Parts: sequence; C-alpha cells; structure tokens
Amino acid sequence: MHHMASHAGANRLPAAARHADAGHGGHVAPPRPSPAEATTELVRATAAGRRFKLAALILTVLAVLGVVGIIARLAGGTGPADQKEWGYVAATMAFMLVAFGGAPLVAIAPTLAKANWNRPLTRVAALFSMAGVVTALLLIPLLAVLPPLVVDGARRRSVWFDGPTYSPHFWGMIALSGLALTGLGLFYANALPDFAAVRDHATGWRQRLGKRLANGFAGTDNQWRSLRMRIGMLGTLYFLLLVFTHFLISTDFAISLVPGWKDAIFPMYQSLTSLQAGIASTLIAMWAARRFGGLEKYIQRDQFWALGKLMFGMSLLWFYFFFSGFIVFWYGRSGPDTMVLDLLVRGPFIYAFIAAFVLSFFLPWWLLIWNKLRDSVWGPPLVAVLILTGNFLNEVRVYVTSWSVDPAHIHDRFLSPETVNTVGTHFPDIFDIFVIVGAPAAGVLLMLLASRAVPVVSIWEVKQWLLLSRPMKYMKGHVVLVAKPD
Amino acid sequence: MADKSVLGLFQEPDQAANAMDGLKSAGFELGTFDVLTGTPYPEGAFGEHVPQHRLFRFPAFGAIIGFTTAVLFTAATQLAYPVVSGGKPVFSLFAMLVIMYELTMLSAVVATVIGIIFESRLPNLRPGAYDPRITEGLIGVVVNTSAEKASGAESVLKRSGALEVKTA
Amino acid sequence: MQQRRVIDQVHTNRVLLNGQLATPKWWLPAVSVLGVIVLIGWVLIGFMINKGLGVTGLNRPVFWGVMIVTFVFWVGISHAGIMISAILRLTQAEWRRPVTRTAELLTVCSLLTALLFPAMQDGRVWRDYWLTPMDWARGVWPNPRSPLVWDPFAIGTYLSGAIMFLYVALLPDVGNLRDRTTGKMHMFYTVMALGWRGNPRQWKLQTIGGILLSALMLPIFVSVHSVVSWDFAITPGVEGWHSTIFAPYFVIGAVHSGVSAVVTVMAAMRWLWKWDEFIRPEHFDALARLLIVVATAWLGFTFLELVFALYGQEGQEVALRELQIFTWPWNAWFIVFMMCGYVIPVTMWLFKSVRNNIALMFWSSVLVNIGMWLERYFIVVGGLQRKTPFVYTWDYYRPSAIEWAIMGWSFAWVTFLLLLFSRFFPLVPLFEQKESQTFSGEIKIGRARVPAVMREQE
Repeated sequence: MHHMASHAGANRLPAAARHADAGHGGHVAPPRPSPAEATTELVRATAAGRRFKLAALILTVLAVLGVVGIIARLAGGTGPADQKEWGYVAATMAFMLVAFGGAPLVAIAPTLAKANWNRPLTRVAALFSMAGVVTALLLIPLLAVLPPLVVDGARRRSVWFDGPTYSPHFWGMIALSGLALTGLGLFYANALPDFAAVRDHATGWRQRLGKRLANGFAGTDNQWRSLRMRIGMLGTLYFLLLVFTHFLISTDFAISLVPGWKDAIFPMYQSLTSLQAGIASTLIAMWAARRFGGLEKYIQRDQFWALGKLMFGMSLLWFYFFFSGFIVFWYGRSGPDTMVLDLLVRGPFIYAFIAAFVLSFFLPWWLLIWNKLRDSVWGPPLVAVLILTGNFLNEVRVYVTSWSVDPAHIHDRFLSPETVNTVGTHFPDIFDIFVIVGAPAAGVLLMLLASRAVPVVSIWEVKQWLLLSRPMKYMKGHVVLVAKPD
Repeated sequence: MADKSVLGLFQEPDQAANAMDGLKSAGFELGTFDVLTGTPYPEGAFGEHVPQHRLFRFPAFGAIIGFTTAVLFTAATQLAYPVVSGGKPVFSLFAMLVIMYELTMLSAVVATVIGIIFESRLPNLRPGAYDPRITEGLIGVVVNTSAEKASGAESVLKRSGALEVKTA
Repeated sequence: MQQRRVIDQVHTNRVLLNGQLATPKWWLPAVSVLGVIVLIGWVLIGFMINKGLGVTGLNRPVFWGVMIVTFVFWVGISHAGIMISAILRLTQAEWRRPVTRTAELLTVCSLLTALLFPAMQDGRVWRDYWLTPMDWARGVWPNPRSPLVWDPFAIGTYLSGAIMFLYVALLPDVGNLRDRTTGKMHMFYTVMALGWRGNPRQWKLQTIGGILLSALMLPIFVSVHSVVSWDFAITPGVEGWHSTIFAPYFVIGAVHSGVSAVVTVMAAMRWLWKWDEFIRPEHFDALARLLIVVATAWLGFTFLELVFALYGQEGQEVALRELQIFTWPWNAWFIVFMMCGYVIPVTMWLFKSVRNNIALMFWSSVLVNIGMWLERYFIVVGGLQRKTPFVYTWDYYRPSAIEWAIMGWSFAWVTFLLLLFSRFFPLVPLFEQKESQTFSGEIKIGRARVPAVMREQE
C-alpha cells in the first residue's frame, strides 16, 4: 500500500503508479508516519539551525529599523499638519491587520466546518496571531495623530454619532488589542497538547518551557473536551472580533478622514481582503516551513491545492466587493460620488490601484484557474506573493490618500474637485520604508521565535488524523476511510 | 466488429471485479467491456481503465463564444442608439461588464452541460444488453464483441459467478 | 452524529420513488386546489394587464410596491439551490445528499416565478420584447446600461444554468425510473435518460461535471441578486437605496431566506412522502447551524447598512430611518421584521433540541421568510414614499387586493410547480443515497465503532 518515492519531495508519482488522468493528476497516498514518528520528527524540527539564526538576525535588524522609523515619525510631530506624514504607517498597520490578522482564520474556519485537510496548517496559521501584537503596538502612535472627534468646536463625521469624544481611539485600541489577545489565546489553546509533547520529548529550555506552558495537560477525556470547546469559542470570537476590528479601523482610519466618503461596503471589502491575504500569508509560511523545516511529509500538495482553491474564490470576491462599491459611485455621479472615484481610484495613486487590481485579482484569477498551477506545491505560494504585494499597494492607495487629505476640510460636505486635485502622490521617505519593512519583520520574528518553542505542524491534529483515517484497498482500487465521529 | 452484446449480472461487487479481470486475461480488448452499476463506486474499484475526458475544454470554448456575443451586443446597441443617460458615456465599459459577464457564464454553463452529455457518450442510441435490476443493486458486466467470441465471454462471466447472462 | 444505516437499493427505490411509481393519495387534491388558485391568479394577472396598473395601489411616488418586493423575495429564495447544492458538493459534505435536488428545484421554480413579475407589471407588457436587440426598423435598442436590462440576463442565466444542472444531475435517477416503469411512462423516461447505463465513465462525468457546474454556478449565483440589488442601489435619488453595500447585503439575505425555504420544503417532504429514513434530524441540525452563521452575517450587513445610511447625517436619510424604526405603523412592522428575521429563529436554533425537532425547524424557517419579505418591503416602499421634509404626498401606498392576490398566486404557483415535478421525478436523489451506502464504512477505534466515509485517493 505504501508505494511511493523514498526521496524528499515525495509528492511526485513513481512512474508505475501514475494514473494518466486529465483531472488533477491523481497520485497515490503519501507516506504515513506512525504517531510516534510524527511526534519525534515534529518535536525535533523545532531545533534552530544556522539558517534560522541568520533569518532571526536579519529580522531583528529590520525590526529595530522599524522602531527607528516610528521614533523619527514621532519626532516629526503628531499634529494635524503632520497627518500626511503618517500615511504609510497607517497603511502598514492596515496591511498587517489584513494580511497577518486574517491568517488565523485558516486555522479556525475549516476546522469549524470539520475539514481534515487543514490539520497540518493550523499551527502555521495560528502563529500569525503573534504578529497581532505588533499590529496593536503600531496603532498606538497612530492614535496620537488621529483627529479627535470634536475638531474646531464641531463634531466631525464618524460612525460614533453621539458617542463619547474618545470613542475612535478607545474602541480602536480595545478591538485591536482584544484581537491580539484572542489570537494569542487561540494559539495557546491549539498548542496546549503540543506543549505537553514538547515537555515529554524535548530537552533543555524547550522541555522546561513546555512543562510550564503545558499546565499539566495529560490528555484526559475532560481535558480534550474542554480544549475543543475552548478552540471553538475562541475561534468564533476571533472571527467576530476580526470583522469588528476591520470595521473600526477602516471607518476611523480611512473613511472618516475623507469628507464625503460614505461607503458601507468598505469595511466588508477590507474584511474580505483580509481573508484573501490571510490565506496568502499562510501559504507562504507553509511553503517556507516545508522547504526550510524539512516538513514535506506533513505539509503536502493537498494542503496547497485546497488553500489555492480558496484563494482563487477570495480573489474573485475581491473584484466583486470592489465592483459593488465602484458601480454605485460610478452610476450615482453626484458630487460626493464623483469625488470618491476621483480621489481613491483615478486619483494620486491610480498606478497603485491598477497594480493592486492586477496583482490581487487579474493575475490570481488567470494563474489559479490553471489546474497544473493550482494543484502544485509552488503555484499557490507564488500567487500568494503577488496577492500580498497587491494587497499592500491597495492599503497604500486607501490609507495614504485618506491621511493626505488636508484636515482643514474635515467638516466639508465633500471635497471639491479643486481640493481633490491638491492631494498629490505622497511617496514614502526613508523612515516610512523602515516602518514598512520593519513592522512585518517584527511580526515574522515573533512567529519564528514562537516556532522554536512548539512544533510548526500540530502534532495532536496530525495524530488525530492518523487515528481517524485508514488507507485501504477497496476491491481493485485504493481508498481512504475517514471516520466521522461527529 | 461488435455485433453482439453479452451482459453478466452479479450479486457481489467482488465477483464483478473478478469477471473484469477474467475478461482481460481472456484477451478481450480494453474498451470492449464495461461494468454497469446503479450507484457510483470508488474509481478503480473494479480494476477498470480510468476514463479520459476533455470536459474542461468545453466551458473555455463556451466562455469565449459568450464573451464575444456579449461584447458585440452591448457595444452595438449602445452605439446604435446613442442616448446619453445619467451623464454616462454612450459607450460605457463598466456598464457593459455585467451583461458581458452573464453571457460569458451562460455560454460556459451551456457548453459544460453539452460537454457532460457528450463525454458521457450520450445520447446512447445503441445501448446493447441491459437489465433493470442493475438499478436495484445488481452489478452488470457487459461485453461488446463479435458473434464468434460471444460464447467465450459468456463462459468467463459464468465462471466468475454471474447470476444470469443475457445477450442482445 | 451521523449514524450508519444499511439500506439496500431495492428499499431505496421503493421508498424514494413512491411519488412516481404511484400517485400519493393527497397529491391530486392538493394539486387541484393549487391549480384552481393558480388559475385565478393568472386570470387576475390578465385582468391587470388588460385594465392597466391603476388596479393596483401603485401611484406617485411609490411606483414599485408589493409586486417588486415579491419579485426580489423569489429571487432571494432561488439562492438556496446553488448555495446548498454547489457549496456542499464542493466541500464534499455528506449531509447534502437528501437536500440537493430539492434545493435546485426550488431555485428553478422560484426563478420562473420571479421572472414573471417584471414581465407582467411593467405596464405595457406587449412591449417586453423590446429587451431583445431586434428593432432595426425603428432603431430603438435595449439600453445595456440599465440594471433593469441586466435583470433578465442575470436571472435568465441563473435559470438556464439551474435547469441544466437539475437535468444533468437527474440523469441517473431518470435511468432508474426507466427501469421501474412500463408503457407510456417508460417511453418518456427512456427518451429523457438518453440511454444512461451507469458505466464508470458516466459516473465519473457526473462527479466531475457536478463539481465543474457547481464552480461555474457559484459566481452566477452571487451575481444574480447583486444585479437585482443594483436596480435600487445605483440610483442616487431615493433615500435608503444609494448604498454600496446592497449587492452583498441582498445576496446574504437571499441565502438566509433561501436556505430557510429549503428547510421548510424538506420538512414538508419528509411529512408528505414519509421519508423519515432519508431526511433525518441530523440534516436539519446541519442546516440550522449553517443558518445561524448566515443569519448573523446578514445581521452584520444590516447593521452596516443602517450605520452608513446615518453616517452622512443627511436630513432625508435620517428622516426615512426615523419613519421606519420609530413611526407607527412602520415601527411595529420593524419589530416583527427583526423578531421573525433574526431574533426568534436564531435564538431557537442555538439549542440542539430545537435543531433536531423538525416541526420547530419548519415553523422557524417560515418565520424567517416572513421577516425577509418584510425586509424587502421596508427597503423598496420605505424609501419611495418620500415622507421627508418638503415633499408632500397626501396618502400612503396601500396595496390593492389584486396585488395581494398576485402575491398569493406566486406562492401557490411555486408549490404547484414543485408538486408537479414531484409526480414525475424523485425529490431526493436516489443515486446520492445509494452512493452514501457504498461509500460508508466503519473504523474500530478501541472499543468504539465510528461511522466512516470512503474518500477516493486523489
């Protein structure tokens, strides 16, 4: 039954077993490790090699540069006149929320839908919640710059209507830090049995840390039951909080800074982009874990294929959400409608928009529709890189433009065409580049460090799969019997 | 030239699978015998040759036709009756997109359905031997062969445990 | 827990084909009564076309009323089919099996009904053909910039796709019916079956074709209700309409009402045809869980729509919302709408005992659709009324008896079509049930025997 290649990259079919199938190139079962093998190999994979240490060093340097960038920005001032300078910081914060904040959903949503293909991915996806800490920290300086609710004696337009004057700042911070904490809680809940595995199978500081974090987990029935409940509840809470956070950040940090921009779909557009970018981030992390962590046996073509399909759907939805907003403005043609398109689509960042359109929608559509690319290990991560690039440019288009609008116009009904024309293309300076590179680097650094304490592939979920599935011969064919306990 | 169709009916799937093996060893060409079931079985369960299909070409072809039709329709009607409505340009690409999309998808779906029916080799105007009990749980193994070889096929089927063998 | 039941093919045939191999006792009386209602409805529609729209309550400024609301409602109901059939097929969810055909059929029937509404109530019905590009003599061409022109394209595409999808998926069962019948019915099924035999090639094409069609129909399904929503959203002139969120808001509302309608129909099916073995509480449990997610998403979209309507603090917009939420009698209907559309059903569905109780699921799903019909009424008529400062209309829109009758006709018509179909074709796909038997097994883990499903090795 285990007729497969013995070399690494075991997803290539040995010639004798290959089906000439015009479908998705059917291949026979990849090698199944035993539960004990899985535990040992995955715990061992947490060891830090030279490449890891080099990567950590580089990321630390970049993160420090990011801090330097923020300090330089703060030194430049946080008044209304300096709002424009913070555009790229805002865009970076939004990018991190969208790309890194959406990734844990890959761990949550398929699990809630009782999928089995995402088992090897859940840890990689949940690790992104570490980066949520950086996103929350990045919000703090931005809160200093965000105009107060009452400007020049009058309340500016926002979703807070008659709310207290501190509303945007307070609720934004609560949401983002709540999201970070929930993400960390979800990560911890998901990793708990693996901390126990590390406690039992590792040595040195890992063993001590694992013992501390495992909190006496012994795998009793009650502990498993309560674990699953916690994962389910934290997962649902994370999802709801993510949508809520996108709503707050997109309205307070983008929409409300542009007088006359009334856009009900934009928060959902950003949430959807977050799903797309979250899948993209997870794909890249999976590829890196497989390539550099030697995890070919656990992270296989099926996982890339499944996520590739989802990413394809999300890319199509990206266009759908964008077009739903665009067509309403384009048909409306009133003053505010035209202003929105002139500023945010045809405006100073038109090239960023075109690039984002191509990278987030057009290219993923035509690349992922191609079976050979979608059903491969290299294809979806390649498209993921394009998507993340497009996503970043999209955040620049929205957030830098919003923050570049002169705060003197905050009480206007909508910006006149003359005012729109004065909003020029604001290019990043060196400190902006430090922040753009440093903040994600800090997030990835935290993820990398965490990946040394606990295996990057969830041992307990992989072992559960080994328990619940049985490859078998069915008459003259081969099938996998998958148990459905619930 | 196949002018006889021999059908063996089996109670158990294993027997049918053995019959398929027996026919292969008896020298019957792949493609001249097939298994008929009232419900799908896992691919390869009867040791049958995995079917090749080109279904994916149909929606692509249909989409091209639909897209072209839609572009012509929307462009031609806008230019033929050039009324400026709501300040929009007479030739409005964004407004055309919806109809272009719908007609592209419609043609793709129609072409796919034609493809499914065609690739299933339907309508099947020369069905050969068949038994209604196949849709009640029996498994049929049908061989399309010449009159001379028909008896050979019959004996393979009977040896494999066929409940009944029919000829048409 | 999905329990493993062993049901042989003969038994499956006998039970699931009981509506085709013999006429159920209740069928003829039910169809006759519905037929009479349908006939009366058609007569009234003819009367309305003959006398003009003055027989309705429509007048300046409310030019769109109950009939358009019902049109949007039926387009919404149609979204169940592909949502359930396509998405559950793509995710290989086992619990889709008894549901798919009913969902697809409901799509077809409700779309047929929905298409009739704009055709019958546009005033000069004899000019409906102007939608086609054929008027060379006078040079009057359809305006592809108008969403009203997009509607027939979108709905027509979805309807055609749904009919073809339904037919293709019906092929194996039509083959089965061909094998079970004699005489004229046998001839009918033989022709429809196109010579279906059930060889591996045909089964493989069923699976792959089903997945491919599902993948193609999903984007269509998203686009249809978006196009219908753009009938309202793109115009800047009516309060409450010019919102960018309308497209996904309508789609999610459609999924909510559509899936609830499927629950209603499935509960009725189980009761009418005695299909307790095949339509089980676990199916309703799964549907209810899906509905909780969908309903909550719908509520989120509703909240966003309201928040951004008020965001601009424009006088007319605020006045409209005050009318809808705080002014009698709209405030009472608003409460009914919220209670029926979300609060009562979702609260009920949070309890496992309710999810597994088929009668409660039936009634809660009916409540959802009452709420969703009201939602569309709020959107369409609310904004059009122009009960805003400096606009003076003497009266409110009051739907006439003809409009209510036509609305009632639409429900009877859809039910009539469903029952008519059920006389000739099985509502539960037999081959899917049989496939689940073939593909099911058991795994022994310790002392437990856990039901399992076979997956082909990819």
